[in-house]
Amino acid sequence: MGGRGARLYIVDLQIYLDIAKLLENSGTVGTLAAMGDRLDELERRIDGLRAAVRRAMRARDGATARVLRAELRSAERAWDQLVSGEQSPAKREPLPLVTVREQVHQGLRLLGATAQPRLIVAVGDAFFGGTLRSDRLTSLRRDEERSFRSSPFGRPYYLCAALTDRLSAARGLLTLSTWPLERRVVGPLSPRVDFLTCAIAVGGQRGGDERAVRLLIRMARNIPGATDGGLGPPDPERVIAAARAELRVHAERDTHDRAELARRAAAQLDDAARLFGAATLSTITKEKAK
Amino acid sequence: MTGLMREGDPVRRLEVLRGTTPPRPHDARAIAALAANPGCARRALMDGAGIDKDAAARHLGFPAPFGQSPFAITRGNAFEALVKADGCAELLRMLRELLGLPIAEVAYHDVENVGAHLRHAHTRALIDRAARDGGEGAPSPEAGAEATAPPATETAGPGEAVSTAGTLYDHPLLSLRIAGHTAYLEPDVVAFQLGGRFRIVEIKSFAVIDGQADPSSVAAAARQAAVYVLALRTMLEELGHDPLMVSHDVVLVCPENFANRPVATLVDVRKQLAVLRRQLDRMTTLDRLLDGLPDELTFDLRPDEDGRPTRPVAELSDALRRTTARYAPDCLSTCDLCFFCRDEARQEGASDLLGRQVRDELGGVASVAEALGLADGTRDPAEGQEEIARLLRNAERLRRECLT
Amino acid sequence: MSLLTSLARLRALDEGIAQPVATVRHCHLAERPMVFIPLKLSGEAAAPLAAMLGTDRGDPRLLVVPQPRNRDLRFAWAAELAGVLLPYVEGFLGDTETVERRNADPYERTVDAPQIIVPNQGGMAFVRLLGRSTRFRRTDGPYPVPESVPLLGRWLTYFAERAAYPGSSLMLAATDELGRHWASGQSSLEDANLAALLSWITTGPSDDAEDPLVWPPAGPATDPGFDAEVLAPAIEGGSPERVAEALRTQLEPTWRLMWQAIDLLAGLPEGASVAQRWEQDRGSFSGMAAHVAEGTPPQARRDGAVAAAAKLARMERAQAAYDVQRAYDDPLVMAEYRLTGEAFAGEVIETVPDNVEGEGRSRKLRPLVVIKTDDPVRLAPGTSLGTPQRRTQGAELVSADDGLVTVKITKGMGRGRTAAPGAVPEVGERVCYTSLTDDFQGSPSLPESEATPWTHGGPPQEYTPDDEDAQEEWS
Repeated sequence: MGGRGARLYIVDLQIYLDIAKLLENSGTVGTLAAMGDRLDELERRIDGLRAAVRRAMRARDGATARVLRAELRSAERAWDQLVSGEQSPAKREPLPLVTVREQVHQGLRLLGATAQPRLIVAVGDAFFGGTLRSDRLTSLRRDEERSFRSSPFGRPYYLCAALTDRLSAARGLLTLSTWPLERRVVGPLSPRVDFLTCAIAVGGQRGGDERAVRLLIRMARNIPGATDGGLGPPDPERVIAAARAELRVHAERDTHDRAELARRAAAQLDDAARLFGAATLSTITKEKAK
Repeated sequence: MTGLMREGDPVRRLEVLRGTTPPRPHDARAIAALAANPGCARRALMDGAGIDKDAAARHLGFPAPFGQSPFAITRGNAFEALVKADGCAELLRMLRELLGLPIAEVAYHDVENVGAHLRHAHTRALIDRAARDGGEGAPSPEAGAEATAPPATETAGPGEAVSTAGTLYDHPLLSLRIAGHTAYLEPDVVAFQLGGRFRIVEIKSFAVIDGQADPSSVAAAARQAAVYVLALRTMLEELGHDPLMVSHDVVLVCPENFANRPVATLVDVRKQLAVLRRQLDRMTTLDRLLDGLPDELTFDLRPDEDGRPTRPVAELSDALRRTTARYAPDCLSTCDLCFFCRDEARQEGASDLLGRQVRDELGGVASVAEALGLADGTRDPAEGQEEIARLLRNAERLRRECLT
Repeated sequence: MSLLTSLARLRALDEGIAQPVATVRHCHLAERPMVFIPLKLSGEAAAPLAAMLGTDRGDPRLLVVPQPRNRDLRFAWAAELAGVLLPYVEGFLGDTETVERRNADPYERTVDAPQIIVPNQGGMAFVRLLGRSTRFRRTDGPYPVPESVPLLGRWLTYFAERAAYPGSSLMLAATDELGRHWASGQSSLEDANLAALLSWITTGPSDDAEDPLVWPPAGPATDPGFDAEVLAPAIEGGSPERVAEALRTQLEPTWRLMWQAIDLLAGLPEGASVAQRWEQDRGSFSGMAAHVAEGTPPQARRDGAVAAAAKLARMERAQAAYDVQRAYDDPLVMAEYRLTGEAFAGEVIETVPDNVEGEGRSRKLRPLVVIKTDDPVRLAPGTSLGTPQRRTQGAELVSADDGLVTVKITKGMGRGRTAAPGAVPEVGERVCYTSLTDDFQGSPSLPESEATPWTHGGPPQEYTPDDEDAQEEWS
């Protein structure tokens, strides 16, 4: 197979002509006809199944489509094996040396402020040789809460939710239990303040690779005065100065809002809720439903 | 919108039309599409009654030719996430550049934080407060504004920390009454505090390349944004504020060139608003459309417990044919029922099949047979058809001459 | 669309088969056209997914991006595409002829030129965007690409721009050309579906044509059902062979349709002016090749005001010339003008071949011809006329009433005291005269580019592609 291993695959109309050559060279011509027949048959079957799946989908017949899809996948796997002459390798990701939990912790510590998973992933990529994927982070918070509830304060830190102005868990914002409440609550200005704080942290970080430069470019272009308009990598000092300048505009009000929220959280919430947010009506309903 | 609330016969008749089939909620795209073919009585009635046209079309054996690729959906979601990341950092940059938004205006409210069931009430409360603060330049008592929403959490009271209204409302939920039904609408973002005005922000993932975007995509985005503008204006009006606090210029955010970098443009949707209003007004006069129909007429699909339609196809098809459709080839990209209506137009030999241009060219000759009869001279022109008949006869003569 | 075409559509609908709206072919068809069917990833502006292309119907090349989100693979694909298209394009550069020009140096024109045929307008737009996204790429710096990629971009940009030029045949869209020659019994919107249009022309309408399972869309967008059920799992599975095989199923049916479309067009005799327009295409192509050879920078992102105005004026003139030429070449097109009274045809019933006007030195031969016609003539006496039967001849309308038209021949009947043999039509001959004439109006006087008024943005900056152009992400 001329194309295998190359970045680009040019496939002739009949792939198995290539296979024929391959087999000829390796002296197994005898099996060729049988293999071609088998491929023919598989392709016919795959085409038929695909059409059936799509027909079922158009008729919104989900149950039939699922059954057909399963059959289709196994036919496709068989085809793959026949064509590539090997088991399709199970994709194995390199085992991370550091757990997801610890990587998120690392990222948050670097940033020093509440952040969205995608930013934490970007920081992991830029400075810690990142193996994080944002879809891995979705269940994280629930696991942390479960662990906390079963043995409170059993771990040195928890990855927890930022608290909204209703003291419930903010969607998609991660924070660290070791931080003071003021840093873990979000008022209306806090997303901006946290973004600027993160930009200062990223600007002050050394030793990142090309991905770090790209991250800083992306952050800098959204801070007034952080770039000179050129295309080159931004000057980190300039980014930090610009972020600090904007921060000064928001700091007082945000500090005030956060102090007020933190005071309320301290007064109204129990330990678990202080870390993971007060239950809202909807979560209560869900809990009851279980 | 007042006419919509009227109880009584038309509402009951619409319920009969829908029958036991659960109503299909309208989204902005569906409402925007209402304006696409305002002359179609069949569509007006089906939408008015909240009928699931997609399900009806499938049951009739004419599934709509639409579908969205998972790649397009993923791409759209990823782009929206990028624009909204880190407290809408990208969006703030664009609003600062485009509209001169002051640096201090960065407040961000994620309405979705309150949970799905409270989103609409919370949106209302936030918009109300913003309209007051923005309108009078003074903070208003928090409790008063929040009183319209039920208490949010058991533990935390309804009070809010000291904060000013604005600037960005993420995941807001608006509503609009459509022929007696409430449609809930989700604009991407509502921005406030740009000269005391609200602006709808619409995030789309089609590219603007060297300053140009696909005109039909822009038009569709404008139609959709107009629905949000109307819904937000309606909300403000209901709250006793000036509806014109909502700007008719919407902020359209798209990726620029081949990069993922978002770029914002202002799009004036006044025209789309006017069309939309006219069509919605028309929906309030559905009783006129209902007048000519038998009382017991229904488009019910009679779903079984699993939601599968059980109504005999011929029966449903007959019922639909009692209403007049105005098929045009444009329907093929906007209406779920298009293949059904096209089939009907084919059976009737309607010249509508060939498109608006042909119809205009034929100056009111509606059927294929009639037009060909005039061309062949086998049919005498009716009054007012003399000129088109002369042209058709001449055209026929010329074609024959050239092709033999 | 004219009433004549509308009538043809009605007839097609009634008879269940497409009707001709042309009696000759109005586009050039190359001996070896490059059929090019691109597919793009849904939701993206111009992210290539695959293409099937080639000049031999029995031997299409399939180029696939096995992981369409991977930018490096996209550029590798573009390089691979360049590897097919550039040799094809450059293959025409070797054989040239010298063209003498008045008031200018002679230049070299290729004796033939490339021709790309894509399925539809979407394919054209994709070629334009692919050209835009590749022509500024650098072969060095942070995101280097193979040398052939920016060159491919310049050529694709050229083909896309030239395709907008009325009457050009360097790049054709199959549905457009078919639609110019046949009227189907469906709307022009539906004619954009190659399978549907072809089935109207060949066998009559078929519902299969709209079933993506039978006839996959001709691109560049793929069927959403295919994306969800076949392509996405194949890409996820990480097996390039399976991705390629899946895309082949979407492209092969269109490949066959494309050649069917070419056969249908080839079945029509070529219009008399087609060669002349192709000659212009060859000249334009040679000019572009010279630009490339001289190392001029790639086409700018946007034209300056003067360049845009000049281009618009050129296109308007080309459109006018194209309309006239088609009418002269094709009685069925001329019939449109006969219907509106701008042309008439009929039989010659009387001639005065030796009619003269004026006295003495200003005495001129002005043969008269009287034609009996059924056409409604709406031309004023004195109107200049031309005739497809004698293209070099000029005439003037003398009078027209009651189906009798008198025409005076003013040009192109020879210099003698009597008209050259054959210059004056004989009694009984069928002739056609029209007010449409192919004399070009002079080009509008536009300022030099350097003198662009401030109202139009002032003189444009010399376009030099910058790093931003080169580094632009392609995502």
